[in-house]
Amino acid sequence: MNCEEYWNEVAGPEPEGSFDAHLAACPVCAARWETGRPVAAGLRLLAEEMKKVSAPPRVEAQLVRAYRERYRLRVPPVGEVRRWWAAAAAVLLVAGALWTGVRQPPPPLVAANTGLAAVAGSEEEEAAFIPLPNAAGSPQDEDVDLVRVELPRSAVTALGMPASDDGDAESVEAEVLVGPDGMARAVRFLN
Amino acid sequence: MKPPESDQQLFERLRAGQEQAFVALYHRRQPALYRFALQMSGSASVAEDITQEVFLALLRDECGYDPERGNLVAYLFGIARKLLLRQFERRRSDVPVDASGEDGRFVEPADPCDPLADLAARERVEALRRAVSSLPRRYREVVVLCDLEEVDYAEAAAALGCPIGTVRSRLHRARMMLAGKLRDERRGATIPAWKAARCAI
Repeated sequence: MNCEEYWNEVAGPEPEGSFDAHLAACPVCAARWETGRPVAAGLRLLAEEMKKVSAPPRVEAQLVRAYRERYRLRVPPVGEVRRWWAAAAAVLLVAGALWTGVRQPPPPLVAANTGLAAVAGSEEEEAAFIPLPNAAGSPQDEDVDLVRVELPRSAVTALGMPASDDGDAESVEAEVLVGPDGMARAVRFLN
Repeated sequence: MKPPESDQQLFERLRAGQEQAFVALYHRRQPALYRFALQMSGSASVAEDITQEVFLALLRDECGYDPERGNLVAYLFGIARKLLLRQFERRRSDVPVDASGEDGRFVEPADPCDPLADLAARERVEALRRAVSSLPRRYREVVVLCDLEEVDYAEAAAALGCPIGTVRSRLHRARMMLAGKLRDERRGATIPAWKAARCAI
């Protein structure tokens, strides 16, 4: 093996490995190898220092925007996200309330909040809103969101609520009044 | 523990419209690409543009990536290099990296407890950085890729479009040049400004 072959085919990235046969036999290459050692050590230091450098966050933000445009990903507006979270929380609360109703005799359904009672009264022709336990103490004039959800029919009957025998439907539609804190205030069954 | 997804898996998922995969691949590969572009161009804004263009290329229908011809790392560096060459052609100059960086991000104390050791280490590193940035492009790119970004020889060869032997020989030649530059600097024979500012592409 000549010197050119050695440097082009054999020598590793770090000239700090074992002093191999070619270097032992070739003083020119050995000297070259020795010359490269401090450079390799310095490059390692430089590489270590450079590791802290990366593209500023705006590059990622621009790329994510481009990606969404390319793949037409819809970013839901903040309000929509909030409404979905509220709906999820409402479902959990209603389910929790219904589960409690299965284990205990249902308490008398009295509107604890006059504001909600007013809502219930005004829509009496359709179906009344049933105040949930956590509605007690909430302000009368608070803004509430109306969220439509689906619940299992068994959960409704377990609460002692009449659920019309609407064919083979496994679930019933309900409307939930959700307070600004995301907690359900009242529920109304639609079928 | 689940092993991390390969670049190839992330690439396939991002092409299927999964944003998470795109972001994961970006986080994994962006720093090295950005630093490569920064070391080669000497400009943070050019490095930003190059990084952005490289990842935008992945989103194109005909992005040109072929796993048969090399892995994704080689492809990404290859794109970055092509874009840099285009930049160099446009500018017809090759400005060395400003040692302080555009926003001072480069300067980090090596040892806050020992100011003299810190100073010496920083001076050594800065001298080496100047030396790297004054290398002719073909030598600088192998040093940045293989020594600074630890890209393996095969990937570097695929990115540069040359045989592995060429990568090895350029690398050793580059190290000898760096040793010479550092020796000259120690002797006080500083590199003439015009030579550092313009070097062959």
